[in-house]
Amino acid sequence: MKRRSFVSWGTAGLVALCSGIGVSLAAVVRFLTPSVFYEPPQTFKIGDPGDFSYGPPTFLSEEKIFVFRDREKGFAVASAVCTHLGCTVGYFQSDERFHCPCHGSVFNADGTVQHGPAPRPLEWFEVTLARDGQLRVDKDHAVPASYRLVVSS
Amino acid sequence: MNPFREAWQSIVRRDPLSTDKGKSELVFLNVWLHIHPAKVKKENLKVKHTFYLGFITFFLFLILVTTGVALMVYYRPQSPQAYQDMKDLQFVVYLGTFLRNMHRWAAHGMVICVFLHMCRVFYTGSYKRPRQFNWVIGVVLFLLTLGLSFTGYLLPWDQLAFWAITVGTNIGSYAPLMGARIRELLLGGHTVGESALLRFYVLHVAVLPALITLFTMVHFWRMRKDGGLSRPVWKLDQDEPAQLVTIGAPATIAPLAAVPASQDKTYGLMEVVTGRPIFETVSMEEEEDAVFSYPYAFFREGIALLVTVATVMAVSLFWKAPLEELANPAKTPNPAKAPWYFLGLQELVSHSALLGGVIVPTLAVLALIAIPYIDSNPSRRPADRKWAIRAFTLFVVVNVVLIIVGTFFRGPGWAFVPPWVHIAGAE
Repeated sequence: MKRRSFVSWGTAGLVALCSGIGVSLAAVVRFLTPSVFYEPPQTFKIGDPGDFSYGPPTFLSEEKIFVFRDREKGFAVASAVCTHLGCTVGYFQSDERFHCPCHGSVFNADGTVQHGPAPRPLEWFEVTLARDGQLRVDKDHAVPASYRLVVSS
Repeated sequence: MNPFREAWQSIVRRDPLSTDKGKSELVFLNVWLHIHPAKVKKENLKVKHTFYLGFITFFLFLILVTTGVALMVYYRPQSPQAYQDMKDLQFVVYLGTFLRNMHRWAAHGMVICVFLHMCRVFYTGSYKRPRQFNWVIGVVLFLLTLGLSFTGYLLPWDQLAFWAITVGTNIGSYAPLMGARIRELLLGGHTVGESALLRFYVLHVAVLPALITLFTMVHFWRMRKDGGLSRPVWKLDQDEPAQLVTIGAPATIAPLAAVPASQDKTYGLMEVVTGRPIFETVSMEEEEDAVFSYPYAFFREGIALLVTVATVMAVSLFWKAPLEELANPAKTPNPAKAPWYFLGLQELVSHSALLGGVIVPTLAVLALIAIPYIDSNPSRRPADRKWAIRAFTLFVVVNVVLIIVGTFFRGPGWAFVPPWVHIAGAE
């Protein structure tokens, strides 16, 4: 075999080997990524506006959200998932703050971090009125803490 | 000719054990025993040299495999069946509680023994040339042990499991660039759920045990090839310094015992590779401080095995493995704690997730791996390596203190609560 052909065949072989390995690795990663997530939908209805009381927020445990209802300002929905490591925060009426049980993060009523290791404020989700008159929450759609849905009753 | 005798001899194929040749052949000709040398140094067998921690770790692993396979018979990695199966193991299955206890306590014991074994190897300087890379394999085995513990932790599918894994995998997602992606691959979703349970199960019963078995084989093989156990530090002063080899092996690799190379002898391949003449390798001469592995080493290993099994069984009779209520994604227990060996990590994470959960542990692991390459001091004598010993001791103490703080001094909301203060409503 001539040196020139050895180099060109060797390069071709090396490229083929590397691309083979690359494609295989990509296939493994793709295989491990589920094509369908059998997880609860991110958009869901939570009931009629009248179901929610004024005052302290209503905690929906399945959806991990707090539903705030204010007499003038209307509805707002906050995430109950701590931004630190994903524990579920609780709302304490005594100091009107959210407390995370895992690492002690404390969030103000508007979701901003009071203290603790949480890096970001709690998320607020868009809440709209569905055609059938129920409240609909979209967890894929984050909104500013000032967002409110006013429902005239 | 007695056919039973003939059959027996077809199995063992060695001389009687009353002879030195038989004792050697027992090791040479047996697939399970040949990882041992035929003869070992008497001093190397002393408990105060190794505390048999490597053996104990390996025996705990054997207990874990045995009890783990037994538990698989009654376990389905689905939600909520996994938790029902735990209850069945606890109340219905014959010996179920006992086997689960053994599995749990042996797992904790293995984490402890791997760590103590690592400390022993450090303090005796046994990671030094030519064993540097075996230390690295040891660190990999330590990480695999933690991985096995962590994946096993989710399987009971109770509150303890669910929240420890939720917190643990969220720590991973702080890793830059790939973090969130790796978490998604690990969980097979965006939250800890059905597919996470199945994936952790596959990792726990197939992938990680296979990996740890392979690395253990390499670990043992390399140790054997490097001349078995390192010499106890108290023998270093008495041993004669090894001279560089003259045959075959280049001078850049490990020094071997010197042999006068003869002009008129033809050396075989194995002699060139090992740098030692065959007749020295299989010498039947009674070395002053060497004894046959059979029975001296095997007897001591057998004792270590018995003590390990008996201890795990005794602990499992008196202490039950914890099982809390069914996993409930909506209700985080307060405080939610990771397994104890990750509580040092959780303590760091409570200050900063990126720094404490990703950067510091990554640097710690890299530092552990780099130890044999950073430490260029060739001496194994403790007096010659004061700073290395101080630095490693500091590392151990910081780890232990963080774990103790996380375990005993953290109450609801991760507030600092000494263990002697009782908080109403808290466990």
